[in-house]
Amino acid sequence: MRVKVDLDLCQGHSVCLVECPEVFDVVEQDDGYPQVVVLINEPPEELRKKVMSAAMFCPNRVITVED
Amino acid sequence: MSEAAKAGLKRPPIVSGAQAEGGHMPEFEKDYCAFISRAHAECGELAEFDFGGQETILMSGPDAQEVFFRTPDEVFSQAQAYQVMVPVFGPGVIFDASPERCKTQLKIQVDALRYQNMKHYASVIAQEVEDWIADWGDEGEIEILHAFHELTMHTATHCLLGKEFRHSMTEEFFSLYKDLQAGVQAISFVDPYMQQPVFAARDRARERLEEIVSELVARRRASGKEYGDALETFMTGTYKDGSHLTDTELTGLIIATMFAGHHTSSGAGAETLLEIARHPEYAAELKQELDEIYRDGEEISHASMRAIPKLESFINEVLRLHPPLVILMRRVMDDLQYNGYLIEKGKTVAVSIYESHIDPVYFPDPHRFDPHRQEPERMFAYIPFGGGRHKCAGNAFAILQLKAIFSALLRRYDFDLVGPAEDYEDERANMTIRPKDPCILRYKRRTV
Repeated sequence: MRVKVDLDLCQGHSVCLVECPEVFDVVEQDDGYPQVVVLINEPPEELRKKVMSAAMFCPNRVITVED
Repeated sequence: MSEAAKAGLKRPPIVSGAQAEGGHMPEFEKDYCAFISRAHAECGELAEFDFGGQETILMSGPDAQEVFFRTPDEVFSQAQAYQVMVPVFGPGVIFDASPERCKTQLKIQVDALRYQNMKHYASVIAQEVEDWIADWGDEGEIEILHAFHELTMHTATHCLLGKEFRHSMTEEFFSLYKDLQAGVQAISFVDPYMQQPVFAARDRARERLEEIVSELVARRRASGKEYGDALETFMTGTYKDGSHLTDTELTGLIIATMFAGHHTSSGAGAETLLEIARHPEYAAELKQELDEIYRDGEEISHASMRAIPKLESFINEVLRLHPPLVILMRRVMDDLQYNGYLIEKGKTVAVSIYESHIDPVYFPDPHRFDPHRQEPERMFAYIPFGGGRHKCAGNAFAILQLKAIFSALLRRYDFDLVGPAEDYEDERANMTIRPKDPCILRYKRRTV
């Protein structure tokens, strides 16, 4: 499983951080919206459910998961 | 772009039928959905029209729309396209602020809409819905545009400005807000500063609102209490140098949040209830889903509303066919090449949410209401909240609010049309879509 984020779409809503803090952080930027940072690009299989929830509940559909 | 490079590019085709006076504005004002569909059908992906003197290029289809949403502000400027809002929001606020201050203001606005605040809003909205239906009784008729206007007025002031304000100031706040809204209409795009009674009323309302907000802010600073609402987040937000928003900026941010969220949510709520009354077969599915989720007497909360898939799909379909905003605009700040065409500096580019949502490639049989539709895989085909860095930051709030309202309503009442289905049409005025006034439905308490 590989996690990708599209930063053009991220407004820092932080849902991912609540759903799966092991993989996602949301970091304040110099300018504008805070943005998501992926902590583990290829998270272990046991986190799949939480990563998928983060992707599904992200209001801006920033996160995609590839196998 | 060099003159030589420009010369090698095609110009976007121009929509026929411009009037000597106002260009395509008269046709646009009459029925903008019909005009946009005609422009798209006649010219294709890029269609240039004369929007009251402003050369405007409609960009249609997900490829062009993706360019619209991804092109940075330095090239497609949102602020320059919405200067008409400056006298409404106030000096130094959002579209009148320097790019850096504007970004911080928008960031602070999103902070108020982040996950942490949403739990509080969920319980506020649930409480407001209970109050709203408290005196409905077992059955009756209701004019839903008025009803949703009132409900969303209460949820908006409560979530934005707190409980105390909501119970003491909502009436005056909304009468001022009405004057601000009336200050944005087609003529404002020509010149929002001309001598007009509506603009004078707009300016008086803006001034009085700032007085009200300043008093509220001063009381809060003195009290030192915590409120958990959006105003608290706005008041604690800081610029890079550590300074806070001024009262003028706080007032502007409140107005901007209202403009983005109130009439859109109110209209979407009414459209959702109307589709429920139109489609008893789908309504039954929603009721079954909600009955299961709330079977054990669980309260409406952020947690219980996390996933309500059938209701969510239903709302998505409502927003597809009845998008509250119809077109979005940007001003072109630098020449851009798209698909062999020149998108020239000084023109405006526009995307139509309505037109995008009736594209038969992505939405077969597009005019049919079908909540079982799959959202298209192609990004930027389904865009009820726009997209990219200026996507509506309140999108999660809006969906949460609709889920809370219909979680409460559908477990208690059934809704029916009172007249023939064809009497219920959409109003397409003031660049928004909502049901035609009056929109009366019958409700009856469900028997369990």
